[in-house]
This record gives sequence, structure tokens and C-alpha cells, in this order.
Amino acid sequence: MRGSPIAGDGVAPTTHAPSPRKVGGGRAFAACVCFAFLAAPAFAKPQRVVSLNLCADELALRLADPGVVKSVTWLSQDPLSANLAAKAAALPPNDGHAEEALTYDPDLVLVGPFADPASTALLRQVGAPVVEVGAPQTLDGVRGQIRDLAAALGEPQRGEALVADMDARLARVVVDPSRPRLTAVVLRPNGFTVGPGSLVDEILARAGLDNLAARLDIAADEQVPLEVVALLGADVLILDRDDNGAPSLADAALDHPAIAALAGRMTIVSLPARLWTCGGPEIVEAVERLAAAAAARAGAATQ
Amino acid sequence: MSAEIRYRPLVAALAALTLAAALVSLTVGYARLDVAAALADAFAGRSTAAAVVLEQIRLPRAALGAMVGFSLGLAGAALQGLLRNPLADPGVIGVSGGAALGAVVVFYSGLAGAFALAMPLGGVAGAVVAALLLYALVGRGAGTMTLILAGVTVNSFAGALTALALNLSPNPYAAYEIMFWLMGSLADRSLPQLWLALPLTVAGWALLLTSAPALDALTLGEDTAASLGFDLGRLRAQLVAGAALAVGAAVAVTGAIGFVGLVAPHLLRPLVGNRPGRLLLVSGFGGAIVLLVADIVVRLIPVHPELKLGVATALIGAPLLYGLIDRMRREA
Repeated sequence: MRGSPIAGDGVAPTTHAPSPRKVGGGRAFAACVCFAFLAAPAFAKPQRVVSLNLCADELALRLADPGVVKSVTWLSQDPLSANLAAKAAALPPNDGHAEEALTYDPDLVLVGPFADPASTALLRQVGAPVVEVGAPQTLDGVRGQIRDLAAALGEPQRGEALVADMDARLARVVVDPSRPRLTAVVLRPNGFTVGPGSLVDEILARAGLDNLAARLDIAADEQVPLEVVALLGADVLILDRDDNGAPSLADAALDHPAIAALAGRMTIVSLPARLWTCGGPEIVEAVERLAAAAAARAGAATQ
Repeated sequence: MSAEIRYRPLVAALAALTLAAALVSLTVGYARLDVAAALADAFAGRSTAAAVVLEQIRLPRAALGAMVGFSLGLAGAALQGLLRNPLADPGVIGVSGGAALGAVVVFYSGLAGAFALAMPLGGVAGAVVAALLLYALVGRGAGTMTLILAGVTVNSFAGALTALALNLSPNPYAAYEIMFWLMGSLADRSLPQLWLALPLTVAGWALLLTSAPALDALTLGEDTAASLGFDLGRLRAQLVAGAALAVGAAVAVTGAIGFVGLVAPHLLRPLVGNRPGRLLLVSGFGGAIVLLVADIVVRLIPVHPELKLGVATALIGAPLLYGLIDRMRREA
């Protein structure tokens, strides 16, 4: 994940050092929270939730009652790179710092998988319940995370409904088994690609694409030189575009003329980063778009 | 006269070495590429993947390596002649840092999209400001200490402002790109970038190379040079403008690569009889060779992500700079 602030699924740029904690720990913590609130009204839903991570922002906004989420990160308010920007824009933004969260006197703080351990420790020290939203590497992990967070928010039915909706849409993505397998390679900003054993790998597989990066003997997220990508000979090149309009060298790497020159040889699909940065329900749209591109490519090949 | 005879073969040999290094650079890369087949495809107009890699990735990399190296070597020799100090490298004295700041402001503010030449011109503007600031401090025969201190000041200020500009960008990747701008890289540069930088670069080279007779005269002292008919005010303007054009356009494409303008003149100065005028062209080719070799080395070292070019040049250049300062201290 070197050099890429959004590399890896669910890693928001405001976060820093890796923290190996899993969502299970958060679930246990959430149970404690519920216990602490038992003396209060019967429904023990958190009423002042602050999210310090882009991926947690969007899940919380989907699952919690209106008005419960008090603040989300500034990243969630960018209409070009976030999924729920309209909802997020109505809330005061934060930069992912612990002290910002504490100003809301939160009864639940959501942090990302790469949150600064010092911030998380500080939050816990002052008694704010913290739940960590992870970076699931499988579709099952995504389902589990949605359920866990829904439970922490006291909305288990909404979690189940969200998962059921995802599964229904995924079931409608059918890859024609008689179609020859197509190969694909992912190119993310800064020249990162996605290897086997990752959520994106599973997204590709669900769309009927074989990830060529498996041939490169690389880890889940690794930089690959452009010339290697050019010579891999994939059928489909998937560009991860963060179209928030502000220039960066990382994004400029995807505009290299060599990619345009290869457009005749492979199908180039631009997939907005917001659809597959986080392990949320929006990844279904990524699967749908890739499956459509793969079907179009296969159709063109057989004509 | 014997030096006169040796000069042309020396230039020819260095030019040949530059060409050879550029050709080697074409064959070095991360993917196995049949260069002969790719070349045949490219000339036949077949846009095979191999031809695309050769034309669009390897060719601009090799050509930019030669061009940027030439600019840095030449500008180093010219600034050293002007300031009469062998430590005046565009990187050490902050001209490259100023250029990086100019390019960063233009690129991340979105101005670069306004017109094609905006980014190289931003680099040139930054280099001009840095050079003028520096010249105001050390212009009239100030000592080495003043030069280095002024360079440190300009460098760290430009570096801090560059980091600030990157952090102000709403793009979350931008803040992580400081390494590119401070250390430089030729990875995945493109042909359009080469074409954009080339005209400004060539204009800079012309200004610098035509200053050779005046630089030679300057070794006799400012008064003597003036009495020989050289307009020193004009010479200074010509050298500052030339160095800013060449270095600014280069840095806007590759980031600031240090020490090339220090190493090349230092190695070649004895071969041209310490004549700063002759050192110019020779040093340009020397810089091109140094940068091409450094860029080949960073691709051969098996570390990922690739080492920044400034790391490779600093490994050679920093000990050399240390030795130079030490020697000057002893001689003083």
C-alpha cells in the first residue's frame, strides 16, 4: 500500500498507521455499549455517532436513523468521489482526528482499519466507544461487516435488508458459461494493480474476468510499471479513476498516451474509485459495470 | 593549441557516449521487450504492444534522460562560471527547488490544463525567482559559505512551500507526491511531455552555450572582462535566463534531480584545461551520461517501487560535494 493514500479497499486517506484490529473486537465493544445503556430507555441505539473514516461514513449514513450521525469526514462530501455526498454535505465535516470526534460527545465513534492507534487509544481512554470498520477482502467479509456495523448501530434489520438487496442484485449478474474467459488487469492511480486474494479480485471474478495480475507474482496491492501492463496482453484494462477534478501525478499516470495507444488492442473501462474503494454495497455496481463491459467485449470478439 | 585539438575529439567522444547510454536505456526495462522486433513494428507503422512500449514509454524516458541531464550539466557549468565557484549546482543552490515549486503550483492548481506550456513555464518562473534571490545575495564575489547558506535557505524555503502547495490540493494523492518533486524520476514520462519541454530547453541551451567567450574572459576578473568589451550585466542576465529555461523546463517534467550539475563539471573540468567556456558543452554531455546511467541503475536495482533518481545521483554526488567543501576549506 506504499505511496497510495487510498490503496487497498477501505483505506481512507485521512488515516495513518496500520492497525490489525478486526471488526469482531468492535462488535464486542458495541455489546458493552448496549449494556451501558440498559439503564436508559429500552432501545439502546447510539444517538451521537461520529465517523472518522470515509468507508465508515457511508455505511453509517446508510444504516443509521437520520440525525444520529453527527459528523463525517470531508472526503464523504465530495460529490465526485463519494457515494452519499448529498447526505454527507448536510453534516459538519471532520479531518479524522480524535479531538474532533470528542467535540460531539459521541456515544459511538467509527474509525477505519488504518486509524492512528494513538487516536483510537485516546478515544477509548476518555470513554468514547470505538468501533473499527475493516477492509474486508471478500464479498462474505463485506456482508459480515455490514451486519456487524448494523448491530453496533442498533439497526440489525437494516443491515440484513442491505445485504439481501446486494445479494439480489449480484444474483442478476449472470456470466454466460459458454463465453470464452476474458482476462483483465486493474490499473489504479500511481500505477498500483490489484493481485489475487483481494476484494477487487473477487469483483472481477463475479464479472467473469480473470485477473492477469495473478501471473505477476505480486501481493494484493503493488505498483507495476506501465510497460508491464502494456505487455500483459489483457482483454480488458480497468482504470480506477478518482474524478474529483483536482490534478495529481497519481491520476495523471492513468492518462499516459501509451494507454490510449493500446485502446484498439484492449477494452478500456474506467471505473470510478467511489464504487470499489470501500467494502460497501456500492461494489455491486462495480460488478454490474464490469460484467457489462466484459459482455460487450465478448460480443465484439465473436462478431 | 594542443588543447584546441583535444577539445573536438573530447566533445565527439562524449556525444557518442551519450548516444550509447541512451540506446542502452531503450533496452532496459521491467518487461521483456524484443527491441529489434518492436523497432521493426514501429517503423512499419504497426501499433503492436511492443511498439507502443518502445515508442511511448521507453523512447521518451531515454530522450528525457539525455535532455534533462544535458540541461543540468550545462546549467551547473554555467552557474559555476558565473559565480566562479565549483559548488554552484542548480540543485545545491536551490534553482531546481524553485523550479519544482513553480511547476507544482501550476500543476496542482489546475492551471496546467489552461494551456499546454503552462507547466514548463511555471518551472521556469520558479527557477528565475530562485536564481534572482540567490544572485542578490551572492552576486558580487561572495564567498563559498554565503553561496551554500543562501542555497540552503532557498532550497528549504522552496521545499516547504512545495509541501504546502501539495497539502492544499483537494486531491488526496497530492500530499504523497513530494518525493517526486524533491528527488525526481523518469518513470512513465511521455512523449508529449518531451515535446513541451524541448523548445524552452533548447532556448536555454542556446543562451548558455553562446556565453562561452564571456565566461572565459570572466576568469581574468570582472574589470578585465569588461575592458575586453564584455557587458557583464548582459552576461548575468543571459546566464540566469538560460539556466532558468533549461532547468525549469526539465524539473517541470522530471522533478528536481540533484547533484548532476555538480558531478559532471567536476569530473570534466581538468579535461578542458579549467576553461569555463569549454566546460559548458562538455559538461552538458557529461550530465546527460550521468543521468542516463543513474536511470539505468534505478531500473536494474530490484526494489519496488523504483528508487527516485535523486537518490541515485545523491549517492554519487553528496560524497563528492563533501570532498569538494573539505578541499576548499583546506585551501582557504
